[in-house]
Amino acid sequence: MGLKLRINGQAHEVEADPATPLLWVLRDHLGMTGTKFGCGAAQCGACTVHVDGVATRSCLLPAQAVQGMEITTIEGLSPDGRHPLQTAWVELNVPQCGYCQAGMIMAAAALLKAKPKPTDADISAGVDNLCRCGTYPRIRAAIHRAAGQAKPA
Amino acid sequence: MSADRRQFLIGAVATAAGGMALGFLPESAAAADGAAPELTPWLIIEPDDTVILRLPAPEFGNGAMTQQAAAIVEELACDWSKVRPEFASATRDYTAFSVYSVVPQAAAFFGGRSTFLMRVMGLQKVGATARQRLVTAAAAEWGVPVVEVTAANSVLTHAPSGRTLRYGEVAAKAAALGPVAVPAIKPPSAWTQLGKTAPGKLNNPQIVDGSLTYGMDVRVPGMVYAALLQSPVHGGRLKRYDAAKVKAMPGVLAVVTVDPDEARGVAMMSNAPYGYALTAPRAAVAVIAEHFWQAKTAMEALPVEWEDGHGARWASTQQLYDAAVAALDHDQDARVERAAGDVADIHKAAKVVEQTYLTPWCDQAPLEPLNGTALVTADKVEVWHPAQNSQQAFWVASDESGMPPERVVFHQTYVGGAFGRRLESDDVRMVVAIAKRFPGRPVHVIWTREEMMRQGKYRPMVAAKLTAALDEKTGLPSAVVARQAARGHYPRFADTAYFMGPIPNVRVDARELANVHVTPGPYRGPGYNSYGFIQETFIDECAHAAGADPLDYRLRLLATWPNAGWAKALKEAATQAGWGKKLPKGVGQGLAICGWGLNGTAKAGTCVAVVATVEVTPKGALTVRQLDAAFDCGRVMNHDAVANLMEGGLIFGLNMALNEEMTVKDGRMVEGNFDTYPVLRMAQAPKINVHFGGLSGADRYAEMGEPPVAPVGPAVGNAIFRATGKRLRRTPFLKQDLSWA
Repeated sequence: MGLKLRINGQAHEVEADPATPLLWVLRDHLGMTGTKFGCGAAQCGACTVHVDGVATRSCLLPAQAVQGMEITTIEGLSPDGRHPLQTAWVELNVPQCGYCQAGMIMAAAALLKAKPKPTDADISAGVDNLCRCGTYPRIRAAIHRAAGQAKPA
Repeated sequence: MSADRRQFLIGAVATAAGGMALGFLPESAAAADGAAPELTPWLIIEPDDTVILRLPAPEFGNGAMTQQAAAIVEELACDWSKVRPEFASATRDYTAFSVYSVVPQAAAFFGGRSTFLMRVMGLQKVGATARQRLVTAAAAEWGVPVVEVTAANSVLTHAPSGRTLRYGEVAAKAAALGPVAVPAIKPPSAWTQLGKTAPGKLNNPQIVDGSLTYGMDVRVPGMVYAALLQSPVHGGRLKRYDAAKVKAMPGVLAVVTVDPDEARGVAMMSNAPYGYALTAPRAAVAVIAEHFWQAKTAMEALPVEWEDGHGARWASTQQLYDAAVAALDHDQDARVERAAGDVADIHKAAKVVEQTYLTPWCDQAPLEPLNGTALVTADKVEVWHPAQNSQQAFWVASDESGMPPERVVFHQTYVGGAFGRRLESDDVRMVVAIAKRFPGRPVHVIWTREEMMRQGKYRPMVAAKLTAALDEKTGLPSAVVARQAARGHYPRFADTAYFMGPIPNVRVDARELANVHVTPGPYRGPGYNSYGFIQETFIDECAHAAGADPLDYRLRLLATWPNAGWAKALKEAATQAGWGKKLPKGVGQGLAICGWGLNGTAKAGTCVAVVATVEVTPKGALTVRQLDAAFDCGRVMNHDAVANLMEGGLIFGLNMALNEEMTVKDGRMVEGNFDTYPVLRMAQAPKINVHFGGLSGADRYAEMGEPPVAPVGPAVGNAIFRATGKRLRRTPFLKQDLSWA
């Protein structure tokens, strides 16, 4: 019962129970550990990936449901780790422990595709992942920077 | 003991790749007559100029790794972009005579703190000695005096002849030199990098591309996964389970148990920094499978019965709160923590303020769930773990496996948040306890969020009753009695400015709630985070009773406090926030100041003053509009890192005050995930202004991770009082009725 998945532009065939959440297929079966396990209840967003370009929490999402769809993980966001969001994150020294940040960046990347010049309200609505270290002010600033916007008043 | 009085012996060897490795020689080994001491490298310079630094303090979000590297680079004068940090091995520290912990009380700490001056000086010596070797080797190569060679940005320069060499080009020759004199290190006044804004975190690039290896990301050949279920009532025991029901499920390899009552341990003196008493295992059953999802699925299908134990008699949280408050009226069991002057006549004063406060159990909830990987074989145990203190984890792994420490191979990973939960290493014990029942294969044990949250080690529930007699002329407290009750007491109440002189007559005592079963643990600012709320709310009540302005009242109370940073921070926060401006009903500003790390003396630690600006609608909807914070930690080692920790610490403290409460039903912890234990999200994070104008410049670089956490709650609570007239004497605020119309 091989699962056929398309991840970061590559086809994968995985021997796993089709009900296995995409998160665990990525992490355990494919060794792609950039997508994180945080809550297992689609609450925290550490497991955020793109499914056909839409930010999606993968920890409750059965892998069989996304067969044939284009999945992008943090490993595939940019070829060299220099997506404008990744660059802005480093420039503004956003992370503390860093565990939530890949999910944050994936959520922010989907937001910027939909709204290239987001307002503060757009960011609050579009990036509602959890950061226990409390880096929200810097995440907000880094999204604005990646969007080419000066720090809003 | 000053670091300068200690003789550092620093040696070097060539690496296989043609570079130089450098490290402190262990004192005991160096003293061995004639024997060539083993060299454990702190620092390696490769031919391509890469600088590998082996650093003892783990990195769990506070920037300790980067700050340790910055201290070395301050002297090494290498290109920052060539620095590659690694974790020093706790195993090697043990087998090589404390080679990474040779600086007393400083580098010895395999925990997170990185800015204590003694530790910084030890790290500077590593860098300075490496630089001196490189300079000496280059001078020999060119046949010029050593003093004519300069080092900067990974390049050695002989200015008179214009010649240059890269560090990597002379590293092997530098390693082959005999002993070089350890040069004097720069005093703080001569620092060129430390004390400035930069650098950002060294591991940022790996965080943002997802490649950083946290404990959860460890992959070892042959690894299997375990899901665990522990007694739902803390302190309970496993009665029975039926492994046959799940043995045939996909991927399932074994069902194993953890028995708290079995004999364990190694017959030798331990150097575990926090001992073993706090690391007690819990009764548990675990399913081991090829993949985690299989293990979790089978775990949920496994029939299990528990012997709940005495904790099950607590039907509700309220019963526990009532018991804690009732205990406050029994002084015979109390332990006096601080006593000064005379408080016998406190109730005879003309004006007395007396109130009872309570803070609930709170879960640290780091975003990376507890987990760890262990491989137990006949002659060793190998552990890959996200520890908050790798030395503690190393020793606990020894104790649980029964292996003497030289047979424990410990690998520190990056850590997805800790906040005290990963400090005591009970998690390592559970991992090894499970792995030793499945020897020969590495077992990666993962707690689900629910399992972690319900089987926590919480910030203790604290009840307190405070009584003050107010001076008839000044309105300031002339006497205070502070009574506390908790199980798992992390004393900070006595360690606060008000009780250390400014209030002349003081009695602070504490009662241990022995029959409470809920397991206590550290948290971000253990003890401090509860007592800060209690005492700063109480002082605000005293100010109100005296008809005084809360800022002016605190400044007058602190007038005799020898640490001027407190008043400076208060004034800075108040000025920046526009304290005293007229605000409409329903909007209010509140103030609080708390100090962490005084340890019984005035001129120590870090104080943080916060002004909160809040709005409460008549129906009771609360918005925290803005937090203005000022602080005094003496001096700052890394401006931007401090700002980041302040911002995060304020949000952490705000969440604690607004949302956090672990409750109990029939002895079981109720909340299990972020739906019932909410954590602030972007939309709820207020505007935060961190002000540096409170810094006193005093000669210390005190901690910044914990200090911001405590003052936020009382500042917000005091602001709610000024906006609505409602006084909040317990947290969390959002579970209380704030309506005022």
